[in-house]
Amino acid sequence: MSATLSTPSSGQPAVARPLTARVARYRTAYLWLIPTFALLLVFNYYPALSALYHSLFQWNGANIKLFVGVNHFVDLWHDPLWWESFTHLIILTVALVAINLTFPLGAAAMIFHLWNLRAAYFYRVLLVVPMVVPGLVILMIWMFIYSPNIGLLNQSLALLGLENLQRFWLGDFKLALYAIIFVGFPWVAGIGTLIYLAGFQAIPSELMDSAVIDGASTWQRLAFVELPMVLSQIKLVVILTVITAFQNFTIVLVMTNGGPGTKTLVPGLHLYKAAMAYNRMGYACAIGTVLFFLTLVLTYLNHRYLRSSVEFTGS
Amino acid sequence: MESRRHTLRHDLVIHVVLGFLAIVTFFPFVFLLISSFRPTVDFMHTFWGLPTAPEWANYRDAWTVISPYMLNSLIVSGVSMIGVLAIASVSAFVFARFRFPGREVLFMAILALLMIPSILTLIPAFLLVKDLNLINTYWALILPYIAGGQVFAIFILRSFIASLPEELFEASRLDGASTFQMFRHIALPLSKPMLITVAIMNVLATWNDYIWPLVTIPSQKLWTISLGIVSFGSQYGGLERWGPMFAGYVIASVPLIVLFTLTMRYFIAGLTSGAIKA
Repeated sequence: MSATLSTPSSGQPAVARPLTARVARYRTAYLWLIPTFALLLVFNYYPALSALYHSLFQWNGANIKLFVGVNHFVDLWHDPLWWESFTHLIILTVALVAINLTFPLGAAAMIFHLWNLRAAYFYRVLLVVPMVVPGLVILMIWMFIYSPNIGLLNQSLALLGLENLQRFWLGDFKLALYAIIFVGFPWVAGIGTLIYLAGFQAIPSELMDSAVIDGASTWQRLAFVELPMVLSQIKLVVILTVITAFQNFTIVLVMTNGGPGTKTLVPGLHLYKAAMAYNRMGYACAIGTVLFFLTLVLTYLNHRYLRSSVEFTGS
Repeated sequence: MESRRHTLRHDLVIHVVLGFLAIVTFFPFVFLLISSFRPTVDFMHTFWGLPTAPEWANYRDAWTVISPYMLNSLIVSGVSMIGVLAIASVSAFVFARFRFPGREVLFMAILALLMIPSILTLIPAFLLVKDLNLINTYWALILPYIAGGQVFAIFILRSFIASLPEELFEASRLDGASTFQMFRHIALPLSKPMLITVAIMNVLATWNDYIWPLVTIPSQKLWTISLGIVSFGSQYGGLERWGPMFAGYVIASVPLIVLFTLTMRYFIAGLTSGAIKA
C-alpha cells in the first residue's frame, strides 16, 4: 500500500512540478507562438498603428512627411466628396441591412419549417453553391445583366414589350446606386442564410414542442419562439453586413469606378483614389481612421442595443 | 404513403417560394453557361435560344488568356492556405492546451485584430510591402494573406481543440508522448473537419481578393485570377466578344467548384456547426 503511494506518478498536478519544468513548458508555449506574432506585428499591428499615426501627417509615402495635426480631419469635414460618398454609404448600409434581415432570414426560416428533411438538405446545398463562384465572376455577370445593348435586363424588358423601361443602368445618374444595391438579387445564397439556419437548428426541441402543445400557430411560433431564439444570429449578420459595407469597395470600383460622375462614390473608394491617384497617403489614412472609429461605434451599438432576450448560447 | 402526402401538403407553399428564389438565383449562371458555347455572331439573333452549334473555340481562346492567371492564383492561394493551417493550428493548440502567464492578454491581442478593418491598414500595408521590395512578387500576397488569415483560423481552431477531452492528452502524456507528438498525433487528426473548413474559407477569401493584388501586383504576368477576370471582361466586352468572355468566367469558376465538391460534407457541417456563432 505504502509502496504504491510513494511511487512518483507523472499524473501529478502541474503545481507540484519543479519550477524549472514549468518554465521550460512556458518556453515551449511562447516559442510556438512566435510565427503568429511575428507575422501579425509586421503585417497587421504595424500597418494599423501606422495608419492612425500618419493620419496626422501630410505624407506622400516616401520623402515628404509633415506634421499637420488634425488638419486632415478638418479638411474631411469640409470635403463635399466625403459627404457625398458618406451619404451613399448610409443608403447602401441601410438597404443591405434591410435586405439581410428579410430575404436570407425568410429563406432560412422556410428551409427550417420544411417537414421533408431531405428537401431541406437539398435547398441548403443549393444555396451554398453560388458562394463558390468567384466573387469577381458574379460582379461581371451583373455587369452583363446591366449592360445597355445586349444585357440580360434590357433584353428581358424587350421580350416583355417594355422597351420604354430600358436604361443604361450603371450609367444613369439617378439609378446607378440602386443598381449597385440590387446586385445579388434575390440575396438568398450566402453566408447570411447559413448563419440563420444554424441558429434555427440550435433551438432546443422542447421549446418548440411546448409551443405546439400550447396551441401556437406556425406564425405565432415564428414570431414568439423562433425569431427571439435566433436574435444572436441576427445580431451577427447585421454587424457583418455593416462592417462589409463600410470597408468593401470592390463592387463600385469594378462596376462604376464611383460614377457616373461621383454618383456611386463610397468612402473606401474615396480613400483608395486619394492614395493611389493623388498620392495623398496622410489624407487616405485619415479617412481610414474615421471609418475605423465609425465601425467601432456601430459594433458597440449593435452589441449594446440589439440584446438577445435569451442569452443562452454561452459563447 | 399517407404521411408523405401530408408532408408534401405542408411543404407545398415553401417549395413554391424557395423554388422561385432558386430559379431566380441560378438563372444568370445557367444563362452564362449556355452562352459560353454561343458563337459571337449568334448573340444578337439567338439571344434566348440554345446556340446553333457549340462553339468550342470560345473555350480555347479563353483558356490561353486565363490559364496563367489561374496558375498564379493556385500558387498564391495554395501556399497561403498551407501557411495559415500550419501556423494557426500550432498557435490554436498552444492557446487551447497550455497554461502560461499572459495567455489571456495575448489571445485578446489576436481577437482585437478582428476589429481592425482592412480599409484602415490598406495604404500603410501597401507602403510597407513596397519598402520591403516585395511589389510584383508572390510574397506580396502570400505573407499578408497568412498574417491576416490566421486570425479567424486561430479563433475557430482554438475553441475546437479546447473542446477535445483532456483524457486523450493525459493518456498520451502517461505514455511519454512529447508536446509535439500530442499536437501532431492527437490534436491535428481530430481537428480535420475544422481544418478543412478553415482551409476552404481561406482559399475562397484569397481567390476572390481583388483590391490587394490590384495595388501590389502591377505586372500582368503575376496577376491573380480576380485581376485577370476583370481585365479579360473589359478586353473582350469592349470587342463585344461575349462567347470567349463567358467561357473564361466558366473556366475561372472550375477550381473552386471542384474543391468545394470534394469537401462539401465537411464544409457545410463546419459552417453550420457551433463554430460560427455570435
